[in-house]
Amino acid sequence: MSQRPLELILARNLMSALSTPAFLVDEGGILVFYNEAAGSLLGKRFEELGTVGPDEWGSLFGPFDGEGEPIPYDELPLVVAVRNGRPAHSTFAIRSTDGTSHTVEASAFPILTAHGSQGAIAVFWPAATNGTGH
Amino acid sequence: MEPGTEMEVRLWGTRGSIPSPGPETIRYGGNTSCVGVTLSDGSLLALDAGTGIRNLGLSLPDEPTRLHILLTHLHLDHIQGLVFFAPAFRPQTEIVIWGPASPEASLRDRIGRYISAPLSPVEVRELPCDVSFRHCPETEWEIGSARIHAASVAHRGPTLGYRIEDGDRSLAYIPDHEPALGADIDALEEDWISGFALARDASLLIHDGQYADREYPEHVGWGHSSLSHALSFARRTNAGQTVLFHHDPMHSDEQLDQLGEEAKQAWTALGGEPGGIELGVEGAKYEPHARVPSATSAG
Repeated sequence: MSQRPLELILARNLMSALSTPAFLVDEGGILVFYNEAAGSLLGKRFEELGTVGPDEWGSLFGPFDGEGEPIPYDELPLVVAVRNGRPAHSTFAIRSTDGTSHTVEASAFPILTAHGSQGAIAVFWPAATNGTGH
Repeated sequence: MEPGTEMEVRLWGTRGSIPSPGPETIRYGGNTSCVGVTLSDGSLLALDAGTGIRNLGLSLPDEPTRLHILLTHLHLDHIQGLVFFAPAFRPQTEIVIWGPASPEASLRDRIGRYISAPLSPVEVRELPCDVSFRHCPETEWEIGSARIHAASVAHRGPTLGYRIEDGDRSLAYIPDHEPALGADIDALEEDWISGFALARDASLLIHDGQYADREYPEHVGWGHSSLSHALSFARRTNAGQTVLFHHDPMHSDEQLDQLGEEAKQAWTALGGEPGGIELGVEGAKYEPHARVPSATSAG
């Protein structure tokens, strides 16, 4: 009886109404949704991409550090949030499908329920500075 | 009902929010949510314990009885009848109360806030029956001849819907539900619709139908469905028969008659089979039929 957890359903509904880029992963780190604002940032709507595994979505859009080096997957805020059950914040660059680079600040927090972690949400903002850090 | 027959369902309370007795609600009923289910092996279930459970209790014989009460949530219109449930005051009765878990307090303690002074003349510990409280597990479990599945659904506060499978018959009970909150229910994929797996191909779906479409804009986020949302949910889940439930306390029998006509017309327009939709009436009985899974939802 496959069904998304209610907390993910409600998170997606909320994110759909936000003008801030937002990403949603499930408890396995699979990217299960991002909103229109995130689609505009990435240059590709979620409906075009569909769900992607944790080893795939990172390589699609970066992220990169200040020197242009890929940031290890384990250090991404979304991954920290979903794996460790802790909030995480970071600044990094992502690459749109048209090749444009955007430096963003990302805050991620886990979705914890009575049944444990169900996933995590990350929200992006344009970086206040061009600095990169974790 | 004698063991060996099929599942039987009876509506003991169809009203939402608050009891609304009176001449204007006499046909659909004024008691709040309660549905009695007799399984094929004779096991007894009560789905919610609104004021309708009082009459369910009065219908049971005064003899040793074991029954399970499955609570969707703890809003008053779903538990108010507990302290007026006659079998609870008989020492030969065993009652198992199931409900949603909460990080805040146990099910027993949360229900105890109602069954205690000053709201109640008795305390839980004073009930003569053998009563126990259990949090619904994440996985399916068995009661008598049925397999029970509970899942969180979109409402205010921790709220469950239930699916009861007994042989080839299934009942989905989602009385308080707002599946289209912040979403277009017609555009969503199935697994992103609250409660979908509970209701998929159910023989009988008892679902929230509290608001007419014209009333819903004033009640977005209150945790209940508009008529159109309830019908879309029923069509997409391929329920065999749908009973709209949890009637608004402001709706008179005449208004519900009108809502029922709107429902039938809309149901037909959606391609639903005639007779596949109706409004719940207090006292109504159902014997759910076996349901052939739809092609899109099979497997």
